[in-house]
Amino acid sequence: MSTAVHAVEWSGQDVEVGDVVRALCRLREESAHETTGPDLRTSVMTHLAWVPSEWEEAAVGTLAGLGERHPSRGILLFPEPEASDGIDARVSILAFPLREQRRHIAAEVVELRLRGRSSRAAASIVNPLLVPGLPVFLRWRGRPPFGQSEVDQLIDVTDRLIYDSTEWPDTPRAYEELPFDRAACSDIAWRRTEPWRGVLARLWPGVGEARLLRVRGPVAEASLLVGWLRSRLHRKVELEHEDGDEVTEIVVDDMSCSAPREHPTSSDLLSAELDEFGRDPVYEAAARRAFA
Amino acid sequence: MIGATAGMTETQLQENPLLEGLGARRTPEPCVLIIFGASGDLTHRKIFPALYALAVRKLLPEKFAVVGAARSELTDDEFRDQMEHAVREFGRDDFNQDVWDWLGEATRYVSVDFTDRSRDQQVMQFMNEIDAERGTRGNRVYYLAVPPQAMPMVVQEVGARRQAEGWTRLIVEKPFGHDLASARALTELISEHFTEEEVFRIDHYLGKETVQNMLALRFANGIFEPIWNRRYVDHIQITAAETLGVEGRAAYYEHAGAIRDIFQNHALQLVALTAMEPPIDFTAESVRNEKVKVLKAIRTPAPDHVVRGQYGPGYIDGKDVPGYREEDGVDPASMTETFLTAKLLVDNWRWADTPIYVRIGKRLARRETTIAIQFKRAPHPPFEDATTEELEANMLLVHVQPDEGVSLAIGAKVPGQGMRIRTVHMDFLYGGAFRTELPEAYERLLLDAMLGDQTLFTRSDEVEEQWSLVDAIVAAWARDRPAFPNYAAGTWGPPGSDELMRRDGREWLRH
Repeated sequence: MSTAVHAVEWSGQDVEVGDVVRALCRLREESAHETTGPDLRTSVMTHLAWVPSEWEEAAVGTLAGLGERHPSRGILLFPEPEASDGIDARVSILAFPLREQRRHIAAEVVELRLRGRSSRAAASIVNPLLVPGLPVFLRWRGRPPFGQSEVDQLIDVTDRLIYDSTEWPDTPRAYEELPFDRAACSDIAWRRTEPWRGVLARLWPGVGEARLLRVRGPVAEASLLVGWLRSRLHRKVELEHEDGDEVTEIVVDDMSCSAPREHPTSSDLLSAELDEFGRDPVYEAAARRAFA
Repeated sequence: MIGATAGMTETQLQENPLLEGLGARRTPEPCVLIIFGASGDLTHRKIFPALYALAVRKLLPEKFAVVGAARSELTDDEFRDQMEHAVREFGRDDFNQDVWDWLGEATRYVSVDFTDRSRDQQVMQFMNEIDAERGTRGNRVYYLAVPPQAMPMVVQEVGARRQAEGWTRLIVEKPFGHDLASARALTELISEHFTEEEVFRIDHYLGKETVQNMLALRFANGIFEPIWNRRYVDHIQITAAETLGVEGRAAYYEHAGAIRDIFQNHALQLVALTAMEPPIDFTAESVRNEKVKVLKAIRTPAPDHVVRGQYGPGYIDGKDVPGYREEDGVDPASMTETFLTAKLLVDNWRWADTPIYVRIGKRLARRETTIAIQFKRAPHPPFEDATTEELEANMLLVHVQPDEGVSLAIGAKVPGQGMRIRTVHMDFLYGGAFRTELPEAYERLLLDAMLGDQTLFTRSDEVEEQWSLVDAIVAAWARDRPAFPNYAAGTWGPPGSDELMRRDGREWLRH
């Protein structure tokens, strides 16, 4: 992956959404003039990210690894509900070189600080900024407060909600609140279990009689794994869980599983989720049975 | 093990409920890949780098072995060293020692000489040892990357000794025969030992993402198919241009020429994919049935609908390059064509009287493979002629290589007072929308062969239709002797190619 060869930028405080739209148009023209031939504004999606302050550093790091892989319009929303009302904005257009070509691909990044009441009406702010006719992915850092207006409004404009349930304090109970009927849901914790699910699948047909799953790792991943076994095998499987930062050991009944070799990065995991468009019925069933 | 899901098979996928939704779904069953012609350029440049790329992505089976087979006397280690060097030089991924250690450990070499009867059981015995050692269950993929003259012998020897256990797949590199008669003879020989379902005739163009995208473009988008016919399409141009010369392949090329090297396989595949009817599904049989129908419907072109050429000296990339007859290994009086333009007519309801112009050649001005669908002009534009001087008919351009993608040429108003309309391009570039490197064609094809998926391989009747057309064109050439060379290297071919278009009131796409 290469880095951006040039970037143009605009920022403003106490702005209106119209200012942001105009800035995007003007920067696109400026960006085109700085290179040989026009930059390609590839449109495959709008990527929204809801980033509360405690997640800001981690989010920026992950998104930095994504910029080139998914050159979409990225809209980063930093809610500051306690601050005075208003919106601060920064708009950048990053140009990444295209392999073996003179032309560049332009990625648009809109960062919005939603202060005060504006943080509770985020959908009305992002609506004019969505790329028409293309899917909207919403990456929510931390635990989405399902049922509250800021998350519900954004889900209404979203095709796919992406989150990492290992960031949640109340798994597996929280899975009961997932809005499967309103948006396709992607859980990075689920994606992280994929190599282990592969290992378990290789134990077929013996694993088909599993009664007990012992997992050392995050509770979210352990819960999803046992929910997956329950839903796929249509049988009761008990979970014994020992906490850990990542899954390091899995034992099915008395059978120990060899660890997979894949260790994808945060950017890889999010990137993989951004490549998925439809609902994942296997995940939905696993999440529903995680708390069973 | 190399991957969490390595070793899962299509059959297991149907039986094991835990496999649904898992990432690496297309992993072949345990097998041994035996490459005949392992000392050749193809093995170094394409096959092993492709195997390495598959290993990086954990798409090879856990129980796997690859055996290089050639006449040279090499040890396993010497062959591994060569292949490691090839992967480092030609691989598309950064070299990863762990991946190579896995692949290298699965790599063996056996020296073969099928003319030596005292050693004729050696290869098969070697395979049986590998089965026992690596658990590959007698499953074999034989890759015949050997010169055409060696093909029958290898087919015969491998076929006569095929094992009873496990499945067998035979990958046959092009050229598949030299003409219709030789292709049929080879098919007959192969069919004595292998069923059609076991034979995978490679045309690597079909492994290219952008070629497969032609199917996606046509059959996944509702907007194109209704206008993909004689009513809306004026004509189609297919160009497969190389800047390279014969590059050490003179011995083969002198006998093959452009018509056998590119036209018979790659170009006719592009014609078939562009002109075929929608298949009822994306299974190998359905897709290949439709391709065969198109090939059958191609009328034998009249002699004045074919232009052949041979390059003389010229310039490529600002450098002098010799003419074809001055290349090493080429007869100084050679009459081999290095360029071909053909106007093809497909006699069916969809394409009647809509020509497909095919242009292929070496040492042309630019390396590119493009399919251009030229639509008919708007029937009655309500603008004055002067306003549309810069407006061309709509054209859909499928860029197969380089700049992989699709462009649509449309008319747009030039900003300002009054009405001036100019042609602009809407571009979709693969590299722009999907920021991952496109896999090499051989990766896809090797994996498909191991999986037993024949969709992207050529069936025997398809090959025969291709040769039938080529034979008809070549037969007419016996009656004339063009003044070769007739185009300078670095140009777009002989004047006759442009003239053929001009006679029809058309011109080649501007470059």
